Amino acid sequence: MNKLLKTLFIIILIIVFLSAFSSSYTSLSIDHIASVVAMGIDVSDSNNLRVSFQFTNASSVSESGTTEQSPSSIYTIDASSISSAINLMNSYIGKELNLSHCKLISLSEELASKGISEVIYTLINESQVRPTTNIVITRCSAKFYLEKSKPLFENLLTKYYEVFANSSHYTGYTSNATLGDFFNSLVCNACEPYAILGGINSEKKESPTSINPEKDSSSMSSESSLSGQMGTENIGLAVFKDDYLVGELNSIETLSFLATRNDVNGFLVSIPDPQNQDSYIDIYLTPYRSTSTNVKIVNGSPYISLKYYFSGRIQSMKEDSNYLSSETLTTISNYCNSYLESIFNSYLYKTSKELNSDINGFGKIAKSNFITTKDFEDYNWLEKYKDSFFDVKVETSVKSGFLLSDT
Amino acid sequence: MSNSKISTKEAISIILSIIVAHTLVCLPRNIVTSTKSATLINLIYVGIIAILIVFLIIKLLKRFPSNDIIDISDYLGGPVFKKIIGVLFIGYFIFSSSILLRNFCECLKIVYYPMTSLVFIILTFIIAILITLNFSFKTSAKVNLLILPVVIFSVLFIFIANFRHFSIGNIFPILGDGIFNTFVTGIGNLSAFSGIVFIYFLPPYLEEPQKLKKISVTAIGIAIIYLILCVSIILLLFSSLLKADEILPLYSAAQYIEFGVFFQRLESIFLLIWMIQMACYFAITLHFTLHIFKKIANLSDSKPLIFPLGLLMFAVSFLPKNYAVSKFLEVEIYPYLVFGIGFFISISILILANMKKRKKKVEVQNNE
Repeated sequence: MNKLLKTLFIIILIIVFLSAFSSSYTSLSIDHIASVVAMGIDVSDSNNLRVSFQFTNASSVSESGTTEQSPSSIYTIDASSISSAINLMNSYIGKELNLSHCKLISLSEELASKGISEVIYTLINESQVRPTTNIVITRCSAKFYLEKSKPLFENLLTKYYEVFANSSHYTGYTSNATLGDFFNSLVCNACEPYAILGGINSEKKESPTSINPEKDSSSMSSESSLSGQMGTENIGLAVFKDDYLVGELNSIETLSFLATRNDVNGFLVSIPDPQNQDSYIDIYLTPYRSTSTNVKIVNGSPYISLKYYFSGRIQSMKEDSNYLSSETLTTISNYCNSYLESIFNSYLYKTSKELNSDINGFGKIAKSNFITTKDFEDYNWLEKYKDSFFDVKVETSVKSGFLLSDT
Repeated sequence: MSNSKISTKEAISIILSIIVAHTLVCLPRNIVTSTKSATLINLIYVGIIAILIVFLIIKLLKRFPSNDIIDISDYLGGPVFKKIIGVLFIGYFIFSSSILLRNFCECLKIVYYPMTSLVFIILTFIIAILITLNFSFKTSAKVNLLILPVVIFSVLFIFIANFRHFSIGNIFPILGDGIFNTFVTGIGNLSAFSGIVFIYFLPPYLEEPQKLKKISVTAIGIAIIYLILCVSIILLLFSSLLKADEILPLYSAAQYIEFGVFFQRLESIFLLIWMIQMACYFAITLHFTLHIFKKIANLSDSKPLIFPLGLLMFAVSFLPKNYAVSKFLEVEIYPYLVFGIGFFISISILILANMKKRKKKVEVQNNE
C-alpha cells in the first residue's frame, strides 16, 4: 500500500512538473514563434520609433539543396518603444517574435544622430538578443536597407548577415561591429562606440577623369562606384560620441582604424610607382607584428605614439617591371611608409580634432598612466582626447611580387 | 559514518564546490565592483590571507583530530553552547544556500523558463536535493568530484575562447579606487573563500584526517587560481560591468563565444553543467546541515529530517519579496555572515578550545 502511494505520488509529481515546464517549451515551439532575422529602427513621424522586422521562411528552403533563395518579408510598425513594437507585432502576426536568430540590427542615421542609448540598453536587456549581433547605421532608412539586403551567394539571409562583415579581415574597408561591443564602449569611460556604415547601392554616372586610386580608397556606403545585383553596400564606419552619431569614416579611414586595433589580416594600397610617377602600383600588405601603441600625458594632453609593422608583396604587374632590385624594393617600402603615415595621421587627427571620439580605445592604454580610478575620472579622458597629439611611424618591408617578380 | 568517509580528492572538491557555486551567479561581478581595476591584485592579496587563515585553522584543529566544530563547541562550552553554535551554523547553511538557490533560479527563469513559475523551478532543485540526501554523503562527494572539473573546464574554456575579446587595459589604473580600498576595505573579498567553512566539518568525514592540511591548502590554492580566472573574464571582457549589472556574468561571457557559423550558443551546454553543479553544492550543504542537526539533537538517524529540511530551504528561498531583495541578501548580507560565523566565531571557538585544552594539560602536569 505504502509503495503504491509512493508510486502514485511520483507519477502525480511528474505530471505536475511536465505541465509546469511545458508552457516554457511551448512558447519556444517553432509553431508558436516567428524568428526575426534582422531589425530596422527608424525615426517615426507619428510615434517615437518605426521598427521593421525581417522574417525568413526557413522551411521553404529545399532540403535537396536547390539554389533557390528563401523568401523574406518585412513588417513595419510605429511604436513608442522597441518592446511596444514587438508586442504590437506579436498581436498582428499571431505569433511570438523571437529575436534569438536576429543577426543584424540596422538603425537609420537620423535616429543615430538623436541618440540611441535607450535602444541599445533595451536590446541588451532582451535575453533573446545575442551580443554578437551586428549593428549597422544606414545612410538611408533602416527599413529600405533591409528591403535591399539580398544575398548573392547564400541561400539563407541569416547566413549572409553573419558573414558579410568578414571581408573586413582582408579588405579593411568595413568592420565587425557587434551589439555587445557597442554596449561595452557606450558605458566605457575610456573609449567610444562605433558601428558598420551601411547604404544602398545605386549606379552612379560620372564624367571620365584620369586614373585616381584615392577615389577607390575614399569610397563609403552609398557613395561608391559599385554596381551590381547586391542592393546594399557596407563600406566605412559610423563614429559615435556617447550615443550620438558624430561622423563617418570612409574605406581608407576604416582600414586605418582596423590597423590601429590590430583587426586586419591584410589589405591593398595603391602608391605612385617610383619607376613611373604617372602610374600606380598595388601592394598587398599584411601586419607582421602587432601595432605598438604608447600613450603618455604630456603637459596635460595625451601624446600617442604608434608604430605599425607591415610586410608587403606587389600585386599589380606590367611590362618591364623590375621588382628584383633591392633599391627598387627599398624605395617602394619608403613610399609605402610615407603614404601610410600620411593616411594614419589624417585618420587619427580626424577622430581626435574633428570627431572627438576615441573609437580606438586609446583611453584603455592611457589608464596605465594613472594610479587610481579617481585620477583617471578626474582627467576626463573622453573630453581630453581632442587635445591629443600623434606620433605615427610605419615600418614596411616590401618583399617582391607574388608569382612574378621581374618582367 | 564509516561508509561516509571521503577521499582527499573528494574533500578538496567539497571545499571548492561552495566557491564555484557562488561564482556561477554573481560573485565575480561583486568582487570586480568592490575593487574595480585592482581586482586581480586584491585577489592575490586576499588569497594569501585566506591561505594564512587556513594554516591557522589547521593548527588549531590539530589538537582535535577527527572532531568538527560542533564537537569542539561541546568541549568548550558544554551542550548548551554546542546547541547555540549548531543552530548558528544550520541558519548559516540554510540561509546561504536558499538565497543562492533563489537567485540562480530567478536567472534561469529569465533566460530559459520565462513562462514557468519560479515555484516549480526551485522545487525541481529541492526534489533533486531530497533524492540525493537519501544516499550517503560519499555519493554526493563522488558526484561533486565528477562534475566540478567539468565546471572548472567550462570556465577555462570561456576564458580561452574569449581571449581575443579581452582588453588588457581594463586592469588599469593599477590601484583601482586606491590603496585603502584595495588592501583594507578590499579584505571584504575574503568572503569569496567561504569554502573555508567546510573545513570545520570535514575531519570526521575524512578517510585520512592527517591530510586535512594538504586538502585545505590545495583547495584554497585551486580556488585562488579559479577566482582569478573568473574575475579576469569579467574584468577584461566587460567595460560595462561597473555601470550595468548583468545577472549571470559568466553566462553573458559565454554568449560571446562563436567558432565560425557552426559552433554557437555553447552557453546552453554550460548552463546545464552549472545546474548540476548547483544541485551538488546544495546537496552537500544540506548534508552538513543534517549532520549538525543530528549532533545537536542527539539523533541516531537523520533521515526523517530530510523532507522538513528541504521544505525549510524552499520556504527560506521565498522569503525575499523579489530578486532585488534576494540579490541584496547575497551581495550585502552574505559576506558579513561568512566573516561573522565562518571566520570570527569559528576561529574564536577554536582558539578558546585550544587554550582550555592547554590549561587542562598544565593542570594535569601540575597535579602529577
